[in-house]
Amino acid sequence: MDRNKIGKWLKSPGKMGQKYSLHALYFCTGCGIIEIPPTITARWDAERFGVIPVATPRQANLFLITGYVSVKTLRYIIRSYEQMPEPKFTVGFGSCPINGGMYWDSYNTIKHLDKYIPIDGWIAGCMPRPEAVFIAVTHLWTLIDKGMANGYKKYRDNYQYYRKNQEQVLGKLEWPPLFSIKN
Amino acid sequence: MNNTGISLKEILLSSFDDIQAEVTDEQRLTVNCKKDSVVTVLSSLKNRGYNHLALISCLDWIKDNKLELIYILTSYTEESEKGKLNILVKTKIAREKAELHTVTSIFENAEPYERELHELYGIHFTGHPRLIPLFLEREYKIPPFRKDFDTKKYVEDVFDQVPFIKDKKGKK
Repeated sequence: MDRNKIGKWLKSPGKMGQKYSLHALYFCTGCGIIEIPPTITARWDAERFGVIPVATPRQANLFLITGYVSVKTLRYIIRSYEQMPEPKFTVGFGSCPINGGMYWDSYNTIKHLDKYIPIDGWIAGCMPRPEAVFIAVTHLWTLIDKGMANGYKKYRDNYQYYRKNQEQVLGKLEWPPLFSIKN
Repeated sequence: MNNTGISLKEILLSSFDDIQAEVTDEQRLTVNCKKDSVVTVLSSLKNRGYNHLALISCLDWIKDNKLELIYILTSYTEESEKGKLNILVKTKIAREKAELHTVTSIFENAEPYERELHELYGIHFTGHPRLIPLFLEREYKIPPFRKDFDTKKYVEDVFDQVPFIKDKKGKK
């Protein structure tokens, strides 16, 4: 263990634990998922950074949205996000989740993903290279250290607005609210 | 020029009287036919060995007020004798109340293609076993692949109306 970090470990062991055990949800959205297999396997080896893919949302705490989000995919992104245990971090991957990217005038693509679920960080580019994923992970470490990766708290506090936005696009949602909606 | 295409063209022109056939390319035979004779033309081509329906495509000719459907047929079994020939069977239908008879009785794999055309172009296929939505979840007044569907206006009306989330507490 790095001796320089002993002070940090003693001061806030929870944060240090969150930083070095990022379990990424293997959720294949759009074209960016083609970058994830080389990222997690021997070529770039994401486990150097403590990132490891898991099978189900209930084991994950890092959600990579890899590419454009259609209306149909948004439904399953929200369902997966709500199943993940807290603390959970979301990273939008590529330019399409940021503002639609090349699908900016498409009839069926979600333009701004942060209107529907909270996003902690973005990786710009079409497509970002695997190195960009690691830069995003190190930035996420900094955000966790400073307590700024608080998208899940924002989701809890503003859940009624998020739910309203989700219903505006998807129509009636078939699952009950995750948190109580207070007016 | 491909001999098989020319010979097939002669056979088709002799057996149907209301179609136009043309060898447009080395490996391409284009057949223009009327709306009612699509099923008979396709079934006769299937009997001659062209038993693979590769695609059903659609074009929107908004100035002519017509929708053009293109059935692309190829053959796996008789490839060695006839060469690789693609047959494009084209037909035009009216844009308003677009309706056509299904070809699922001849080619079973036409079912998803026709469902796709039904939701993206609004063509009603009579006799289709289940004409339910394939990809889309939302309802559109004009089917989204038609030329008079204004995607920019649709985005402004639907996706841009969703407000951004403002954190009440502000940034921490």
